[in-house]
Amino acid sequence: MIQKKVCMVGVSGAGKTSLVRQFVHSKFSEKYHSTVGVKIDRKQVDIDGTEVNLLLWDLEGRDERQTLQASYLRGSAGLIYVVDGTRRETYEQVFELRDVATEAAGAVPSVVAVNKADLADQWRVGEDQLQALDEQGWHRFTTSAKTGEGVEDAFRWLAAATLQGGKA
Amino acid sequence: MSPAPPIPARIDTFGLTDTGKVRSQNEDQFLLASLDKSLSLQHTSLPDPEALGQFGRASAQLFIVADGVGGVAGGQLASGTAVQALAEYIGRTAGCYYNYDVDVENEFLEQLERAVERAHERVRAFAGKGQGPATTVTMVTLVWPRAYVIHVGDSRGYYLRQGRLRQFTRDQTMGELLVDEGVVTEEQARSSRLDNVLASAVGGDLHPSIGLVDLQYDDSLLLCTDGLTKHVSDDQITEALQQGESAEQICRQLVTAALEDGGTDNVTVVVGRMNPPT
Repeated sequence: MIQKKVCMVGVSGAGKTSLVRQFVHSKFSEKYHSTVGVKIDRKQVDIDGTEVNLLLWDLEGRDERQTLQASYLRGSAGLIYVVDGTRRETYEQVFELRDVATEAAGAVPSVVAVNKADLADQWRVGEDQLQALDEQGWHRFTTSAKTGEGVEDAFRWLAAATLQGGKA
Repeated sequence: MSPAPPIPARIDTFGLTDTGKVRSQNEDQFLLASLDKSLSLQHTSLPDPEALGQFGRASAQLFIVADGVGGVAGGQLASGTAVQALAEYIGRTAGCYYNYDVDVENEFLEQLERAVERAHERVRAFAGKGQGPATTVTMVTLVWPRAYVIHVGDSRGYYLRQGRLRQFTRDQTMGELLVDEGVVTEEQARSSRLDNVLASAVGGDLHPSIGLVDLQYDDSLLLCTDGLTKHVSDDQITEALQQGESAEQICRQLVTAALEDGGTDNVTVVVGRMNPPT
């Protein structure tokens, strides 16, 4: 079976672990646990008749004490950048994270998940910022790890893109 | 061409277990082992024999702790069986690898997972009908600098880097599970003793958690059973790891601290110190 390593990239608390949990287990927890190192999950998806085993590497989020560790990104077939819609700084940092990740993993397919759609009234990432992502060529999904909105779509789109070897 | 593997740390390891002051039998187990795959060059006509040097350096370290549950003899049997099965399977099949290809790494991870499944089957074989013995397992396979972690139950793994202690395992207890699902609050979980009930165990309901951490020179690795963490705080662990002169001294200090605080459970500690190469 085809296997593809997909890394979740973003600042601490953006919702990387919650998105993986929703996608793999259809569950959500309000309790926050920060990931230490990398947590690995698997999920098999069918993309137009091709079975793909996604190896989901949930990377420790970047914060003031922790940098994005490039060694974890080696061999990635795809990347999911996660932005917390309620925290503007997570949007501002995603560009820098992309530079680091692209250097380590190469120009592999990627998406940006603008997460926490269930808290839309608290968003600090506005239409201008979302449009800026689009203009810079990001393939963008609005997601909610809590309700599941957009989650399946984001992962499946990326899985399909890794099969095509296309860029996002 | 794959990059040459980094020069491994000189790893100082030690493990220690104690029955404690209340229990009559020790149901914990631990194992420390090295796995080596080497090529010792004697004579060659090859123009670049140095390129073979990476094979000579390929080695891995195995760290395991297990805490058996299920009655006097059962718990001991479960933890012992699981640790033995893990060591046998990994020694025979997984070994270590030195090819940095992502597919090889994925296969290696699958082998580690299969090792836990094999241990689970072996423990289940003793269970017969009904509630049989079970065990926690926290296992690190260190292929420098990457520490691959397979975790089942509520034994724990930590690493210390530059004075910061970080727990890389999450307790798989009913308390944690129900708090995660919003069924009970953390306070309710603690007061109902749900934190003492395993939500995942080798020999029971098996839900292994898989992860990894890239270590650095001067990091310290610690695996332990809950007999330590019931009595010894994170601050005490940090202090012991920072100030200890050797892995052995750290293990002795931590086990002593657990016993002095009451030693209500079996206590097991395994430490690895990642000294820079000379």
